Amino acid sequence: MADLLAPRRPAGARHVGAVYTRAIVAQIRSITEYPADFWVMASAGVMWNVLQFAFLTVLFATVPDVAGWRYHEMLMLSGLFTVASGSTALLCDGVWSTGQMVLKGEIDYRITRPAPVVVQVATTHIGMQGFGEVAFGLVMLAYGWIGAGLGLAPVPIGLLAIACAVTIECALVTLFCAVNFWIKGPMSNFAFMLIDLQSNAMVLPLGLFPIGVRLLTMFVIPVAFVNFVPVAVLTGHLSAAWLVGTPLAALACVLAALGVYRLGLRSYDSSGH
Amino acid sequence: MPILEARSLTKTFRRPDKASGFKGALKHLAQRKYKNYTAVDGIDLTVEAGESVAYVGPNGAGKSTTVKLLTGILKPTEGTVRVMGRDPHTERIANAHDIGVLFGQRTQLWWDLPVEESLKLLKHMYGVSDADYKARIAKFDELLDLGEFMPALARTLSLGQRMRADLACALIHDPKMVYLDEPTIGLDISVKDRLRAFLRELVDDGTTLLLTSHDLADIEEVCERIVVIDKGKVAYDGPIAQLKAHYITTKAVNLHLEGPADVPALTEKFPDFAWAAGASPSEVTVTYESARFSTAEVLGSLTARLSPRDLSLSEPSIEDVIRRLYAGELTQ
Repeated sequence: MADLLAPRRPAGARHVGAVYTRAIVAQIRSITEYPADFWVMASAGVMWNVLQFAFLTVLFATVPDVAGWRYHEMLMLSGLFTVASGSTALLCDGVWSTGQMVLKGEIDYRITRPAPVVVQVATTHIGMQGFGEVAFGLVMLAYGWIGAGLGLAPVPIGLLAIACAVTIECALVTLFCAVNFWIKGPMSNFAFMLIDLQSNAMVLPLGLFPIGVRLLTMFVIPVAFVNFVPVAVLTGHLSAAWLVGTPLAALACVLAALGVYRLGLRSYDSSGH
Repeated sequence: MPILEARSLTKTFRRPDKASGFKGALKHLAQRKYKNYTAVDGIDLTVEAGESVAYVGPNGAGKSTTVKLLTGILKPTEGTVRVMGRDPHTERIANAHDIGVLFGQRTQLWWDLPVEESLKLLKHMYGVSDADYKARIAKFDELLDLGEFMPALARTLSLGQRMRADLACALIHDPKMVYLDEPTIGLDISVKDRLRAFLRELVDDGTTLLLTSHDLADIEEVCERIVVIDKGKVAYDGPIAQLKAHYITTKAVNLHLEGPADVPALTEKFPDFAWAAGASPSEVTVTYESARFSTAEVLGSLTARLSPRDLSLSEPSIEDVIRRLYAGELTQ
């Protein structure tokens, strides 16, 4: 009986990180078994973003700038968003299945395992289109970077911007998918709306929008910190002080996502009673 | 100290109270009404280490909800659960190391990964050492024949293979307390036999087991104690042997006579026995109280006075007893 009551160590951050990494690596390994699927999906990810690239190229053939933003700066805006949204498919694609798992009671097993449920759900699968999106996003970002004449000096800021953008995007998608704990349905409609808002509005300079939208996207749903703020700082449209806001926004989004997901789990009542 | 202790365990769900049809749906949108549904109603359950307990009841009795409460998936509306002294809901991570769970209707395998990868992910999640992992996989392979489908993707497995792989997943970390919810559902006889043999071995090794199943053969072959629940309440809790001894008070003899069986005449001739027509006109079943008459005495009397062409003995199964418990004909 003494053995039965021996204390067990709860999951620490290192353990959680190891569980997450192993699950993602296992998914990537399994993808390599289906190379045709991989190339089709990765190409689909590229094609979608080629349209955005073509749109900007055609637009700037007729106008010199949009609200003071030039062609290469706009490419950076689109590129950074594409890298961030593509990364969600690679790093936490499983959270899109939250609604379906809640409906079918598939969270059950994940609650009985010694790892955070959100980590287990996020690593359920990965979206292969993410490889294409991230690759093409990086190409757009690099092309815009060179064209905007930024040089090598701000590269560390660029890397920080990418890391924060990916973190904010993953956290926001997780948070909006967690809404399905309360609003039951197989589709993560709120997360779809978020991505739709970003792919339509956040690839444009924020100055085009009324003050209400600017405040909303900076301080309520801080999507502006995914691409607009860092690119605006790098290209001199905003002062460097704004850059502090990017990691802070990332931290706030992660905490909010984990908190909302945890609250959602509290209200989870499985299925088939 | 018991390994599992539940006191006054109650779970109430809120369900929308709306009329059927489009009109009812619209009305519910404007005027939301709910009513409470109690799935588990004040259950007390104590399980000692090493016990094998069958937890049975008709559909909707609250079996799966109880398992979800005991495993920490659901939070009780009222009452308490302690598994090895811990609240499984609030101390989820610590509890997870000590329990193994299998829900027969769902898989815990990663759908797009080979079985082997799922097991390795669980190995790392539970912090199982390489040596223990190898030893357990070898044992599972010996008893469950895992080897043949270890490299296969979970989504390509047959139901029987999937269930065996899920059982290995539930036990890879050598849990002290194992919950199995319908582990043999949908399986063919040979796979069921193999699983039951495996579970018997598990119990013999000292693992505590709580098993829910509609297949009473699972229960009779694996468990020593049975808890019957109905409408969320415990209807019976005791050893299976005692349940049989207490409620199986009659035995039956099936007779195949030379000519047609006249049940009223036979009842008149043998008034101490209960007679019923059999499957064909010449077949008849006679039931007698085992406490009043010995089987030899009954058979002697029947063969001497009726000269049957053939006869066979039958005992009411535990299934009959449980059916009567469900129907409320028996009380503890």
